[in-house]
Amino acid sequence: MRRLGELEAEIMDRLWRWRRPATVREIVDDINKQRPLAYTTVNTVATILYNKGWLLRGKQGRAWVYSPIRTREQYSAALMEEALGASEDRPAALAHFVQQMSPEEVGALREALATADRQDGP
Amino acid sequence: MNAAPVLLGYAGAVGVLAPRLLLRSAWPYRAPALAVASWLALSASFTVTVALAAYQLAAPTEHLHADLIGLLHSCGLTTGTGAPDPTVATRLAVVPPALVVLLVLGFFVLEVLRGRRTRSRHRKVLDLVGHRSARLGATVLDHELPAAYCLPGHRPRIVVSAGALRLLSAGQLDAVLAHERAHIAGRHHLALAAGMAFAKTFGPLPLARHGRQQTAVLLEMIADDRALRRQPREVLAAAMYDMAAGAAPAGAFAVGGPSALIRLRRLLTPQRRPHAALRGSVAVAAAAVPLIPLFLGCVHGIS
Repeated sequence: MRRLGELEAEIMDRLWRWRRPATVREIVDDINKQRPLAYTTVNTVATILYNKGWLLRGKQGRAWVYSPIRTREQYSAALMEEALGASEDRPAALAHFVQQMSPEEVGALREALATADRQDGP
Repeated sequence: MNAAPVLLGYAGAVGVLAPRLLLRSAWPYRAPALAVASWLALSASFTVTVALAAYQLAAPTEHLHADLIGLLHSCGLTTGTGAPDPTVATRLAVVPPALVVLLVLGFFVLEVLRGRRTRSRHRKVLDLVGHRSARLGATVLDHELPAAYCLPGHRPRIVVSAGALRLLSAGQLDAVLAHERAHIAGRHHLALAAGMAFAKTFGPLPLARHGRQQTAVLLEMIADDRALRRQPREVLAAAMYDMAAGAAPAGAFAVGGPSALIRLRRLLTPQRRPHAALRGSVAVAAAAVPLIPLFLGCVHGIS
């Protein structure tokens, strides 16, 4: 069996792409187009995602219908905010390529680049 | 004779004068790995010195001689003298120096654990939200703001935003990814945590203040240099500018500080590594400097 995290990602990915609530049966059928996977496995992982606070669910007839609590974009924005955040001790946890800068500082960078170009040029 | 004054004098030199000297030197930015090692060695040396001085001050005078014989004995510097019987007072004298060392080590462990917790939380969300790209060896995050960062340590991740992929040329992207890989491979988060732990213990001390900031900048330079092995300097410099310009907030508040500017100028005015003789002597000094306080503590006991 694949790792739990990968299955979780597969389920979330489908629900985000479809942009509508879906039953476990629909998700299993879609995954089964690529590879065999038991209904109970997907059902278990969907319940885990529900318990972790990633999915909402409601009854539709006898089956549970699942939908993401937040959009993929909302999660991405939260991650970016954490990574680029201004917190003093953030750099130790998440090393990002360039820190956020004020327009003045970006201007100073541009000037440094332009000066170098002029020196390289004819 | 009590070695405490000598040790405290040495602590002053290491804690106040040495950082000024390092800041004014030109070689650290040209040999950033050596410079990080120097800052860490100075911090270790300062910690040991303060611990030994605390021991000297705490040890009751009448027992001091016996203590120092014991210290020398443990240093392996005396022959023939048996180790003195430790009394309660001499045993208690070990408490203050142990506290100094444990404080620094404790902050270090705390810092490492805190970083690990933050990253593990971040990674769990990232693995569900991002798209893994085997080609890039990175996770792509759906966000228009250009950004690249990494989660170092256990189960590392490199993250690039969709905005960065749109903005950067193939060469620039390659340079940025190499930069992030260098952070992970070099375990730079541990050096940062060490600097942070020392700064938390010794607060406003110049060595602590500058050491932490300089370590952060120097680690970026080490990663920049790794990227330069794969891409020309102009490419890395342009990537740096494009990312900074693309991510700059609309308001005029500065979050970053001048480190990117220092890095960019360094990239654009290539300088050769310092001479091998200088590098060698700095390396020897960095290795020796944590041992000097032990030497001072031992020698001044006999006279």
